Amino acid sequence: MIWVEILSRHRDIASRHRFPGPEVSIGRGYDNDVIVDDPYVAARHLRVFRDDAGRLVAEDLGSTNGTFLDGNKTRLPRILLDGQQPIRIGQTFLRVREPGHAVEPERVAPQRWHILPVVAAVLFGAAVLGLEALTVWFGQVVEPRALNYLTPLLSACGAILTWVGMWALLSRIFAGRSHFFRHLLIALSGAFALSFYGEFAKYLAFAWTRPVAGTYEYVAIWIIVAAVCFFHLREVGSTRLWLKGALVAALLVVAISVQTLQRSQALSDSGRQTTLHILLPPSLRAVPYRSEADFFGAVGDLKATLDRDRAQTGPSPGQTP
Amino acid sequence: MSVAGIARALGLLLLTGAIAGTFTEAAKAQPSAAEAIYASAPPRLLQIRTLVADAGRQTSNGSGFLVSADGLAITNYHVVAQVALEPKTYRLEYVAADGSQGAATLVDVDLPDDLAIIRIDKHDAPYFSFDEKAMGGELPKGERLYSMGNPLDLGFTIVEGTYNGLVEHSYNERLHFTGALNPGMSGGPAVTADGRVVGINVATRRGGQLISFLVPARFAATLLERARAQAAAAPDLHDAVGRQLTAWRSALYKALEKDGFRETALGPYRAPETQAQWFNCWASTNAGATPAPRASINSTSCTSDTGLFVAADLNTGTVQITHSFAKTIDLNQFQFATVLTQLSQPRLVGGGPFRKWYSRERCQEDFVSIATAPDHPPLRVIWCAQAYREFEGLYDVALIAVTQDHNDEALVSRLSMQAVGYDDAMALGRRFLEAVQVSK
Repeated sequence: MIWVEILSRHRDIASRHRFPGPEVSIGRGYDNDVIVDDPYVAARHLRVFRDDAGRLVAEDLGSTNGTFLDGNKTRLPRILLDGQQPIRIGQTFLRVREPGHAVEPERVAPQRWHILPVVAAVLFGAAVLGLEALTVWFGQVVEPRALNYLTPLLSACGAILTWVGMWALLSRIFAGRSHFFRHLLIALSGAFALSFYGEFAKYLAFAWTRPVAGTYEYVAIWIIVAAVCFFHLREVGSTRLWLKGALVAALLVVAISVQTLQRSQALSDSGRQTTLHILLPPSLRAVPYRSEADFFGAVGDLKATLDRDRAQTGPSPGQTP
Repeated sequence: MSVAGIARALGLLLLTGAIAGTFTEAAKAQPSAAEAIYASAPPRLLQIRTLVADAGRQTSNGSGFLVSADGLAITNYHVVAQVALEPKTYRLEYVAADGSQGAATLVDVDLPDDLAIIRIDKHDAPYFSFDEKAMGGELPKGERLYSMGNPLDLGFTIVEGTYNGLVEHSYNERLHFTGALNPGMSGGPAVTADGRVVGINVATRRGGQLISFLVPARFAATLLERARAQAAAAPDLHDAVGRQLTAWRSALYKALEKDGFRETALGPYRAPETQAQWFNCWASTNAGATPAPRASINSTSCTSDTGLFVAADLNTGTVQITHSFAKTIDLNQFQFATVLTQLSQPRLVGGGPFRKWYSRERCQEDFVSIATAPDHPPLRVIWCAQAYREFEGLYDVALIAVTQDHNDEALVSRLSMQAVGYDDAMALGRRFLEAVQVSK
């Protein structure tokens, strides 16, 4: 008995054919055992039979385009079949298997729900929404209004669900399963990282007088988004991870460079960083007070920077010096 | 901390295309004293036009008057600023009231007093002389003055008005003239009944009625002497503008430092307020604001009336001291910190478009403790500065100090200095920070 499997371009099984005889012919013509509707396949293309040792062999019947092993560019007149590696004729992939082909042992069925990821998702979700609500609450310096909370929280929910839905759809198309819950976990942890970084940057800017984390917040945001995209892609399909990684990294570099350029141009137009000078409760201060002399020493050093800026920009266009 | 209710904006009496043609009507009978003055004025009264050199058309015009027999004439700096700063793009032309006209060259400028002196090709022409009594400051208030010029390019006009002495709260000396000055009359003379110059038309107060300002004649006399003394070759006026601006600002900040600060109480804090006379101070509160505020903010703001016309798009030189005492009503400490964040942004306001006049802003921010005395609260201090591209050694600086001794109340003190030398700014800034105190 011989099993012939026609595979899709993603090497999934498209159809299976069972033949009781010792030989199978494959081609586009109607006198074949397996008919392949591929214009690049010959009318009689391939013959599968058993050699003297009883092993399955595929033999090209003189086609123009030839027969190949999948992922290989060498044309082969005869191929010894191992039941694993597909062969390609024209644009069609096939696999031939013995009835005694060994299959993987039966998997133990998972419980319907693992408790840990559910808890993680709930925690992350609560943390994301909680941080968002906290930010709104701390920024609420006039009469409180319910809508001030509802609008950002609902839009955050909407954005996360849309994002997860998109990835689930991609998963469904390319991997056959949507993995909605896993994508939700990835998106929520990403969103949590984003909100946490924002608050952390504010804390650094005030308590440690390190505003740099706020100035370059966009870099951190892009890195988090890229990491999230990579994990989503890995969930969609775990093949060729290095290619996906490289693609995400390339997009990351492009995004950061474009935004850096945009910000430097905005800075040269307005002369100001768009970040705020953040104040938090004095009790959060983490560095010692500086003496007045120290502070004005640093202020004095700023003069050299200002004069260097001035020298670099030069006189105004249209002015005769 | 917008200081409501003060429309201190000065309207310079320069006529540009933007306002020409927006007039409605003006025609009135003239008394006979004015008639006599006006009759003798024509050969010495000028209209000064700034032309685009290539196009040969006027971009703005003002007035001027001859002050010597060999063709030296006084006008306002702001009438000829474009020529001073961009001599390759613009040139000057005069039209006298008697119809003669020709080219004019810029000889020298006096930026702080908004004066310029030009030379025209006239010899042995009649000219205006300065009033000795006005130069000595002895002119009595209420004296009748006659201001001349060419308002809105409608033709030479004489305007009757009253002399009202020196303007108070002004760093630069200006005479208060009650009379209707209009755009285009900038640089024209204001004379006594016997035709001697008391001042030079310079500005009106927007939002006021007939409130106009003159530059005292003695500054014009000084400028005339300086112009006569200097060699024939005109100095590099672009540099001169920068030098005069720097020197004037330096003197102003020295005066500010010398006058020192006095204390004003805001909550438990004592905040520095300048003792200089040329500041206008106002207070404001958010008590009646809608929606009802959740932190009370009481502010005082003192602004110097020292804005100076440097170019059509650069009016700089204001000094502002603002203190806001904020106290929470029902905000938690994080929400209160948000209020303070809003109050303490540097908001470095330039006097003109950023790209043309300034290099980028740089800031220094830290926790500072003034150790000299025990009653100084710890501070969070923000210092932001930007340099002037055109004028070496001048900067705009904003210094903000927020007290850090309480979670629920704080004093936000702000010192904004436009066009200041860096060392002057640091010296004044130190004194300012040292003067922020708290009652124990």
